[in-house]
Amino acid sequence: MKTPSLVSLAIVCVLAAPLVQAQPLADAPPAPSIASKIEEQGAMRYLKVSDLRAVRRDGLLRVQAEISNSSSSTQQLYYRFKWLDADGFTVWDEEPWKPQVIYGAQKQVISVVAPTFKATDFRLILQSPSNSGFDQPQQNSSPTY
Amino acid sequence: MQEQSRLHTRFTLIAGVMALTLAGCQTTSPTTGSGNVSYGDAKAVETVTTDLGSTDIQMISEKMTSSLIQHPLVQDIIRKRQLLMASPVKNKTSEYFDTQQITDTVLTQLQKNGVRYVIEGENMQNQVDELRRQNQSGLYDKGKSVKMGKMQGAKYRLDGSISSIVKKTSDMKDVYYKMNLRLIEIESGIVEWSDEKEIRKSARR
Repeated sequence: MKTPSLVSLAIVCVLAAPLVQAQPLADAPPAPSIASKIEEQGAMRYLKVSDLRAVRRDGLLRVQAEISNSSSSTQQLYYRFKWLDADGFTVWDEEPWKPQVIYGAQKQVISVVAPTFKATDFRLILQSPSNSGFDQPQQNSSPTY
Repeated sequence: MQEQSRLHTRFTLIAGVMALTLAGCQTTSPTTGSGNVSYGDAKAVETVTTDLGSTDIQMISEKMTSSLIQHPLVQDIIRKRQLLMASPVKNKTSEYFDTQQITDTVLTQLQKNGVRYVIEGENMQNQVDELRRQNQSGLYDKGKSVKMGKMQGAKYRLDGSISSIVKKTSDMKDVYYKMNLRLIEIESGIVEWSDEKEIRKSARR
């Protein structure tokens, strides 16, 4: 059975030893927040990252993000990851933007594996053009061609 | 005399205004050209038509590379420094495009992770030409030339195909692409790994 501390961890950063956090440690570093791993291009009104976890297996960082659509209509999402090393340097080329359709009231899981063994950290960059929290949606900021 | 001075002042004023106007046209942008051509984002989601495009190629390559490097066999290939090659991917769709783009990207991304691969196909001719030039042309110092018969064959090869299903109505076109890639041990012919990527594209007409 998982301890409450593990359940509460949205992100299990395995660099700090996998599953070590299963046993609460007094001096354990606080788990990074979801917000610290997300870069939203404009606030999203309906789409939210409801769960985000990362683990390192076989030397590769695996990331799973759950995106929830709180509206009843289908939302278009564009996303890509930025792979970083422990010092915050990017260790892989800029990824292509990937389109993802999220149906109304759906929770969609995005599961990826880092393309390189060098990646120890990541940022998930999200953009949803018709879902902007701006008063006037910025049409040109969409990563489409 | 006074008339001449007035003319001179007017000329100076006109020249000043022209100089200012010209200076106003100059920008700090380091570009040249008429402005009809612009550079876009190579990583942008391309939705110009339903035909296979840059985003499809990028997504397929990314998925295949990611799936390959997490396979224990590929991690073993990296450790043992074994060789890989890519056979031409069969294009079973109704469109024309260069399928080598996919395997080239997969191999490049794998190599960044330590996978070694050997050349084949079109690139082989250049390799053979250079070996012959150094060994048979009589132009090169034999002691410093590369030797014939030292090329290494791959242990594994990548092979695959891409196919599509196209459906059309009077107001809609739907295309489904499926790319399949396999990693085959050449000696035994055993498929050690395979994965596929599906893409659906729809357009209103």
